[in-house]
Amino acid sequence: MKELIGRLTGAYGPSGREDEVRRLIAGELEGHVDGCRTDALGNLIAWKGGPGPRIMLAAHMDEIGFMVTHVDENGFARYAVVGSMDHQVLLGQRVVFPGGRMGVIGSERVEKPEEMKHEKLFIDAGAGAGVGVGDVAVFHRPLEESGCRLVAKAMDDRVGCAILVEVGRRLTSAPNQVFLVFTAQEEVGLRGARTSAYGIGPDCGVAVDVTDTGDTPKARTMEVSLGKGPAVKVMDTYLMCHPGVRRALEESAAAAGTPFQREVLERGGTDAGAIAVTREGVPAGVVSIPTRYIHTPSEMVDYADVEGAVALLLAFVSRPLDLS
Amino acid sequence: MTVREFLEWLSLAPGVSGFEGPVAARIEGAWAGLAGEVRRDRLGNVIALKRGDRPGSPKLMLAAHMDEIGLMVTRVEPDGFLRFAGVPEVDLRTLPGKEVVVHGRRDLRGVVGHPPPHILSPEDTKKLPKLEDLFIDVGLAAVRARELVAVGDPITFRAEVRELKGGLVAGKGFDDRAGVAVLHQCLEELAGLHHAVDVYAVATVQEEVGLRGAVVGTYGIQPDLAIAVDVHLGDTPGVPEHKSFTLDKGPVITMGANIHPVLHRDLVAVARDLNIPFQLEAAPAGTGTDAVAMQVSRSGIPTALVSIPCRYMHSPVETVALADVARAGRLLAHFAARRTPGYLEELAWS
Repeated sequence: MKELIGRLTGAYGPSGREDEVRRLIAGELEGHVDGCRTDALGNLIAWKGGPGPRIMLAAHMDEIGFMVTHVDENGFARYAVVGSMDHQVLLGQRVVFPGGRMGVIGSERVEKPEEMKHEKLFIDAGAGAGVGVGDVAVFHRPLEESGCRLVAKAMDDRVGCAILVEVGRRLTSAPNQVFLVFTAQEEVGLRGARTSAYGIGPDCGVAVDVTDTGDTPKARTMEVSLGKGPAVKVMDTYLMCHPGVRRALEESAAAAGTPFQREVLERGGTDAGAIAVTREGVPAGVVSIPTRYIHTPSEMVDYADVEGAVALLLAFVSRPLDLS
Repeated sequence: MTVREFLEWLSLAPGVSGFEGPVAARIEGAWAGLAGEVRRDRLGNVIALKRGDRPGSPKLMLAAHMDEIGLMVTRVEPDGFLRFAGVPEVDLRTLPGKEVVVHGRRDLRGVVGHPPPHILSPEDTKKLPKLEDLFIDVGLAAVRARELVAVGDPITFRAEVRELKGGLVAGKGFDDRAGVAVLHQCLEELAGLHHAVDVYAVATVQEEVGLRGAVVGTYGIQPDLAIAVDVHLGDTPGVPEHKSFTLDKGPVITMGANIHPVLHRDLVAVARDLNIPFQLEAAPAGTGTDAVAMQVSRSGIPTALVSIPCRYMHSPVETVALADVARAGRLLAHFAARRTPGYLEELAWS
């Protein structure tokens, strides 16, 4: 599975341009699911099991990126951020355009640190033509292992994609109809989840995504740490998790023998926020992978939490759905 | 129950956004006797249907949110004190010294504490406390606290309902239990009236965190017209006169882009005809209420907004005039009773 996470995080897929990731996942799932389709927004929807209640698991394929807005006569490209990103992590980063064209992020001369902002930065994609307005670059970083920790760009949310692929492969039979949904455009407004949930009409939705931690020096108060198991969300900016879904997820963790943490995220959201308010409402929850340095080129997870999430979700979809 | 008793009964029930169970149970019980059918939808909205006597008539949805602002436990400190976050983001000015109830394995009374002035510099005593400086003390040491309280447990403010002079009452959660009381009053009045339209009274969930109950409730009901009932800024020092509404001078009827002009016109007509005092509000763009979500449900719903003036919104001493609640209930009931089976034709744009 580490190898799969490596290939998924290495793939190119900013919001709206998830094709490479989608093809990779579709290939990985071939022969392991009952059916597979791609909807109009580019969500990949695979299904398996049934004919019980419809459970939708969602992980987003897209990653944050840089869209070129202007190229000057010397080839320096200005950009707009696709998704959200702190300019403080950018100077000197390497980025890559589709087709493999490399770029380096440079900066104008700035007198005071507080003057630094995205507008002062540019992408230096080497001399000559090759990069144009509308092209999108993503971080260029390979997956690295550091002890039990994995570090990569786009861990948000390719680690969730890898978990769903693994669930699809290991699931033998389920009383529920399980939809594995690899969503598009989460980083720009939960858009893929909105249309895919509308299309599926699930009885229950669970997003699998990364979440912040409070376990680094002088971090904001947050009771989530790396290595203490996947987190079962209670609340974030877009979702109050359905109490029945939360209970079922926590019971599934116990049944799978995996430790879990409870998560309260004060700023941020996941696909489940969109799923919950689809049609007449969908009971929704989230299984989160504790992740440090989110939206930087070095998103860090603990591999045990990833394995725990797979075990938890397998137990969850294998049990009769009970949201009471 | 009188309007005051009903409002108090709702106010005392906990119901932080996403955790509306206790208050929902009270509303469900109260409406079971007034409407033919009462159900809960998948996000927890309480939906009462009082059918009209002319089948095929339009469906009128009335919505007031039952969730209240509150807090949520984010950490149990090693010394037993609780850290918390707001649901939604909290007004820090209202917090220090407040009494709360932590809804853990069982309900625990607590107080919001912060470092005493004795140890602060004179400058620091003048500053607004930060969320990181505040904590909740339930009086338990860490071991016992951890047994009873977990990350994610909801917290409500603890406040009795007090009667002030002049027919005013103060309490917590009147935003928008006052609106739910209006719906209740409306259903009671409708018992004595003939009405063609089907009336759906809906106590919505999760308004405070993003109008979510109204989004799914409206989709499910698919009404032909909708009216949100919420509270609105009362008249107090510090609130500009043109943005506030006087308590006990009647409900507020809003106009603006969120509001169908014909619904506005007809609400005003009913109020005038019955000599119900009312106040007008101009809201050019949005209203920040369930009306926003209802208006754009499916292919669009003609929507209106009726509000109860309320002082000290988002504090545990929200203050309303009981007479305004009764007046709004009467206004909505008679508005419903006067809609004809062919009313939708009047709502068509020319």
